[in-house]
Amino acid sequence: MAISIAIPDVLVARARAGDLEALEALYRAFETPVYNLALRMLGTAEDAEDVLQETFLEVMRSLRNYRGDGHLWAWIRKIAASKALMRIRRDQVRAAETLDEDAIAAATPPAAAHLDLERALERLSRTSRAVVWLHDVEGYTHEEIAELMGKTVSFSKSQLARAHARLRRMLEAGTAGT
Amino acid sequence: MTHCTMDDLVALGGGEGTAWARAHVAECARCRAELEALHQRVARLRALPVRRPPRDRWPAVRAALLAGRRRRERLGWGSLAAAAAVAAVLVFRPFAGERAGAAELTRVKRESATLERALARYDPDGRVTSGRAAALAALLEDRIAAIDAELARLGTAGAPARPAQLVDLWRQRVGLMQELVRVRVTRAAYTGL
Repeated sequence: MAISIAIPDVLVARARAGDLEALEALYRAFETPVYNLALRMLGTAEDAEDVLQETFLEVMRSLRNYRGDGHLWAWIRKIAASKALMRIRRDQVRAAETLDEDAIAAATPPAAAHLDLERALERLSRTSRAVVWLHDVEGYTHEEIAELMGKTVSFSKSQLARAHARLRRMLEAGTAGT
Repeated sequence: MTHCTMDDLVALGGGEGTAWARAHVAECARCRAELEALHQRVARLRALPVRRPPRDRWPAVRAALLAGRRRRERLGWGSLAAAAAVAAVLVFRPFAGERAGAAELTRVKRESATLERALARYDPDGRVTSGRAAALAALLEDRIAAIDAELARLGTAGAPARPAQLVDLWRQRVGLMQELVRVRVTRAAYTGL
């Protein structure tokens, strides 16, 4: 997702020095894109909120090490994606991936035009959904996804193809909204 | 007639794809339509509405941040005390049987210092290049801090610490430092940041 948030260098410098007001300003600037990324990758508001919190704790702990030679959002996004993927790996021990109805209810109801695609996306496995979102929306390359997931480039490519095959079937069959 | 698979189409959509797939799509209306549908799906994914967090998590983040600062402050004082404790052991335990232990202690301390310098040389800004590397580096730093705290505790305990005990702790510290250097150096070339 193309995010363009201009953060003044002086604010980053203050945050790096530990200024709480500056840290809160950074949090406010990036909380929605981080949450949205985590929600799209993980599918539940509860998990997305946890990743939001974990991401900013990591950002604040590592901010003094941020060199400032890249876009701040790219740096924060990579941390958030990594946290979400860690959660996917952890949750893979569960026997089945289930939808958290409370978490879905907590989210804003989707606009009707997006209903089918959103529901189809939710019905993908977390791994497939993460690959689709990182590649198609966030613009990560297969090499970058493979690095983040600790998998091969082929794995990323095959997950993306399988995910699109499933999305296509679900959208055509009209089962996504049921 | 053989048509493109979803793997072929996804590769074409990403600007890759085989020469055969490119040529086939140019000729086959069905596969062209599939490729167009793929582009449409991606466009619709990108147009999905942005979801906002249902609750404000800043108070929790702020509280955790402040708790972490307090913990690091305590550990920081512990590191200074640890250095004093090691110095005290070297000064006050000059018995022959323990001189070898003291020499080994000096050696591992030097090794630790060398690694600290290597870390500064390879990574003068302590750059963290990915979320995973950041998490691993933070974990290693926490464990090093815990060892420093243990060294400090030994230094302030009623009975002086045995050199063997200190050597063991300093060796653990060296091991963690080696791992930290490896994380920083091997990740330094990682692209994107």
